[in-house]
Amino acid sequence: MRVLHLRLNGDDVEVAAPEHWTLLEVLRYRLGLTGSKQGCDKGDCGACTVLVDGKPQLACLRLAATCEGHEILTIEGLLPAHRRAHPGSTDADPVQEAFDRCGALQCGFCQPGMILSARALLNENPTPSRDEIRAALSGNLCRCTGYTQIVQAVELAIAEATGAEPESPSWAPNQNPWTPGGALSAAAPVEVDPEIPGGEA
Amino acid sequence: MHRFRLEFPKDVAAATSLLPSHRGPLTPRDARVLAGGQDLLGELKDHLVEPDTLVSLHRIPGLDGFELGEDLRLGALVTLAVIERDTALRERFTVLAEAAESVATPQIRTQATLGGNLCQRPRCWYYRNEEAPCIKKGGAECFAFGGRNKYNAILGGGPSYIVHPSDLAPALVCLDATVTKTAREGTETIALESFFTLPSEGSVQRENVLRANELLLGVHVPALGPGWKSTYLKFRERESFDFALAAVALAVRLDGERIAEAKLVLGGVAPIPWRARAAEDFVAGKPNTRSTWKAAADLALAGAEPLEHNAYKIPLTKGLIQKAFRKLA
Amino acid sequence: MKGARRTDGPAWPERDTLQVLHHDTPRRSAKDKVRGAALYSHDRRVPGMLYGRLVSVPVPRAEFEVDLAPALAIDGVVAAVKLREGETQFLGQAVAAVAAETPELAEDGARAVKLTFRELPFAITPDQALAEGAPQVRRGGNHSKVRPKGDEAATEEALAASDAVIDVTYRVPVQHHVCLETHGVLCDYRGGDEATIYASTQMAFGIPGAAAEVLGLDEKNVRCIVEHMGGGFGSKFSLDTPGRAACLLAKQAGRPVQLLNTRTDEFRAAGNRSGSIRRVRAGANEDGKLTALRIECEKLGGIGRGAGGPRPYHYEPGASYFEERAIHTHTDSSRAMRAPGHPQAAFASESAIDELAYRVGVDLVAFRKANLSDPVWHRQLDRVAAEIGWHDHPHRSAPGRGDGWIAEGIGFAISAWGGGGHRGAEASVSIRPDGGVAAMIGIQDLGTGVRTLVAMIAAEELGLRAEDVEPRIGDTILPPGVGSGGSVTTGSISPPVKIASYNARKAFAEHLASILDCPSERVRFQARRVFDADTPGRGLTWEEACRTLPKTGIGGHGAWDAKLQGSGVHGAQAARVRVDLMTGRVRVLKMVCCQDSGLVLNPLTWRSQVNGAMIQGLGQALFEERVLDADLGLALNAGLGDYKIPGTEEIPELVALIDEEDTREFPIGVGEPPVIPGPAAIANAVHNACGARVRSLPITPDKVLAALAKLEKEG
Repeated sequence: MRVLHLRLNGDDVEVAAPEHWTLLEVLRYRLGLTGSKQGCDKGDCGACTVLVDGKPQLACLRLAATCEGHEILTIEGLLPAHRRAHPGSTDADPVQEAFDRCGALQCGFCQPGMILSARALLNENPTPSRDEIRAALSGNLCRCTGYTQIVQAVELAIAEATGAEPESPSWAPNQNPWTPGGALSAAAPVEVDPEIPGGEA
Repeated sequence: MHRFRLEFPKDVAAATSLLPSHRGPLTPRDARVLAGGQDLLGELKDHLVEPDTLVSLHRIPGLDGFELGEDLRLGALVTLAVIERDTALRERFTVLAEAAESVATPQIRTQATLGGNLCQRPRCWYYRNEEAPCIKKGGAECFAFGGRNKYNAILGGGPSYIVHPSDLAPALVCLDATVTKTAREGTETIALESFFTLPSEGSVQRENVLRANELLLGVHVPALGPGWKSTYLKFRERESFDFALAAVALAVRLDGERIAEAKLVLGGVAPIPWRARAAEDFVAGKPNTRSTWKAAADLALAGAEPLEHNAYKIPLTKGLIQKAFRKLA
Repeated sequence: MKGARRTDGPAWPERDTLQVLHHDTPRRSAKDKVRGAALYSHDRRVPGMLYGRLVSVPVPRAEFEVDLAPALAIDGVVAAVKLREGETQFLGQAVAAVAAETPELAEDGARAVKLTFRELPFAITPDQALAEGAPQVRRGGNHSKVRPKGDEAATEEALAASDAVIDVTYRVPVQHHVCLETHGVLCDYRGGDEATIYASTQMAFGIPGAAAEVLGLDEKNVRCIVEHMGGGFGSKFSLDTPGRAACLLAKQAGRPVQLLNTRTDEFRAAGNRSGSIRRVRAGANEDGKLTALRIECEKLGGIGRGAGGPRPYHYEPGASYFEERAIHTHTDSSRAMRAPGHPQAAFASESAIDELAYRVGVDLVAFRKANLSDPVWHRQLDRVAAEIGWHDHPHRSAPGRGDGWIAEGIGFAISAWGGGGHRGAEASVSIRPDGGVAAMIGIQDLGTGVRTLVAMIAAEELGLRAEDVEPRIGDTILPPGVGSGGSVTTGSISPPVKIASYNARKAFAEHLASILDCPSERVRFQARRVFDADTPGRGLTWEEACRTLPKTGIGGHGAWDAKLQGSGVHGAQAARVRVDLMTGRVRVLKMVCCQDSGLVLNPLTWRSQVNGAMIQGLGQALFEERVLDADLGLALNAGLGDYKIPGTEEIPELVALIDEEDTREFPIGVGEPPVIPGPAAIANAVHNACGARVRSLPITPDKVLAALAKLEKEG
């Protein structure tokens, strides 16, 4: 057993865990953070994707003990991170909002990993091409949606951030989820509840 | 997972002292090196290995060096993501950048290291199956030989028929890279081509010459002179995430309408990166046309011995070789 | 005011008057899911909870004995049970289970269970099962009786008289559901006389009875909660082995037990889509008429029966004859999987259609239309043909050859399905004085968008926005739902929710009649306001109206009504592929689906279902296959690395078209039909591109290269 000092979702966290445990085990079975999913536990599905120092990694193939001294971001931390970066904002992270608007999820099990992979991409490259979007998400399996609306969601998040529609968007003209001017959709925004597990900014 | 002790040595000497000193192939309980863990942790979860100690390299300074001039020096802990992203490296040694970006998924490439990629164990589904005591794990038989061998070797196979799963290996062999390894006895640099071993050479339980207490320190890629172009074509069944069914690492130097020189290494078809010397010798001086490429491909695969289910790798690899030449034309 | 509201009972309004329904509406569950706050069965934690793990024998068939003592001797392993006695029937069949304080200890415990077993001979492939002296798989033998249909003599005669005849065999392997969330439950039992089962299930209301039986409790005291679940596709209909094991362990320990399949368990023992071998003899004449069709089908459902599908698969031959039987093997039984039997039947049927069309030199779309009398298929085929660019395509009645490097081709296929609902579900809608509205029905949401739909239906009825209604689903303390299979959910729950909303509105209107001083029939609910239809400018806001309610609020209840739903859909798809002639790779460039669904209640979730189904079809066409070593009895690809489902790099352009000419004014389920044509359309497109006919799925590069080589040899 080791006491691990982790920097998790912006907080300093101390947790006792065996040194042979993976980060995913520590998140799910010690810290009650079940947002990162255990789809296969072998590195094949991407459902456990977290960001370590801003880069996407598989929590099931990373020992928790090797994470000391690094910044870990799980899906639970995405909203607080967004709020910290944009003080006074009542929105969610644009990627999260976009997935919501585009119907980009069905059962939702792959979503936390998918969203974090997309967030990592946009942090590094705010205006990726559709090919770059697909490459960045190629390590996240989804069985339900057929990926198309997921790619749309990322394009929507980009449109929201840049204020410009992509040159050849994934969506059909009569299915445009984006309204120029910044609002993610013409419908009234759904209230975002800041009460989530894992701490809040 | 098996309960191991995790050590964080501060230097190479401390690390090698934690590794077993016997001469044979690693036993399941032997201490092992932990770099990115993208293969090793999978092996642990499959109960293929149960080391009592993992020796993490992460607190050892200097193992992730990246020096790019006309030549290239990469430390063993350089990640695939770093190799994939460096624009100057991609320009100078395209085959290596393309090989790196073809590996696995973005998440895995963030953690996976050069050293780990070269030393990874095979993906053969008999090897990876805890219930199959195959020859590579000390058993008596290669189950792939008479079994479901669609993904197994057509060249160099026997008594084991695995293919080497690394993408960096064929690219680096194509670039005539050398590899430096160190043990208590000293440090040695050898041609990367000599690092990998056929199952018929030495122990069938190994894929390379690395001893139990040896550490890979890094590779050196000599300068490619002017006029060279290179590429890596990796053929996967599923492009999102898959190992190679066949791969071609090709570098050519063109001289007008002719090929002056070529370096051709095949991946995914043999237990080692497979240097196609006969094809390389043939194309030197020949016109850079499809009939040359086709003849080169035939030469490269001459002597291929397919198993029951993998004969398709012959036309596939030949096709890939032609496509690679075409791409660089 | 646009559109007439019928006052003689609940009815769906005309679609162009709809304010909420028939508009893209984001999923209600999305908010929780995108923030990682949605709790699946995998994520539930309760005090005192133990983690469970299944134990299986490492060979397909064995006589075995289980000694649980070594597992229980491990500190932290708290309970252990036997699940079977005597003999195992397939690799991965669970024989015992353990529960421990951590998942790691549960794995230790599972591996410590002492299995003493004697291997028995097994039959894993159809050939092994049918060989002389084969070990017996089922009591009745290794194959079922043959089920014939049609006129054998007339078919033989018609074949003999046809201008062109084909005699070919089509094969579909066993394929897997691959739910991202594996099967499992949390059995929250603490030693008393009640329990709550958090299950990843498609049938919440089937769980309490089954769990009660295992736990020895009164069914009334067992509750099932499915707040979110990670995919089912037909495989999660019962308490199943993980659920039963969790309950047995919880009963023994007097503590809650969560038992989830590992991914390996999931592949080996959580069901599959049955494979099939179909020998097709078919004939056509030069005028493009299908003269004869004879199919001998062998279903490969393991120890189960497998799924067959309609005979014929919708085309109308002059004469036809069918035989069907199941071959049994020592492998896990197939389970329902998204349109059971249909993709396999469509693959054989549609491939045969193309092969015949080429033989007689008739346009592939024209040939189809000539042998289908239902005009819905004609217009859907025309629509997808136009969208895929058929009329500019150079190879419409003969395959192309390509340019020596690549070749491009187009393929078609059709589908048919029911999609109607059935009785059994009920709903309640309640309106509170604070303006809140709850719509309650115990149905589970697999990710299809049911939760959203429930809110939308009530909102439409009450003149509110979807987000003004709180849907409460996925819990057996709510009014009953039905099992989500056969695409019945929409048709089964929409009527009860609609009727409950209607009744709530009617009661509210009656209450408001005196306040608005008009007959209740004139009370209108629109745009979050309530008013007398004669004086629309006056009236109350929704909140003001609700404040007039008594403390207990007002509500309505509803049960199923056949008149508010319907059944019977078609479907047509087209696929465009590019074949790399050097490597055999098939890349799908575009897939188009035209699907009728009656009144589409939420086009956003509808498109998502159709897109997802097309990609599942693509996966089954190009990548998916269960691989076993039949000599050693090993499962070789029981993992997501070697069992390959499509990722983002595989996706083509996907176009999901609602068949607008279907003007039926009631909803029909859509989950299954769009998964049917994909493999057939893609196989046909490959042939159309380069002349290589691959008659077994998946269409992997090795098979394409072999087919191309064969073509070249035949000159």
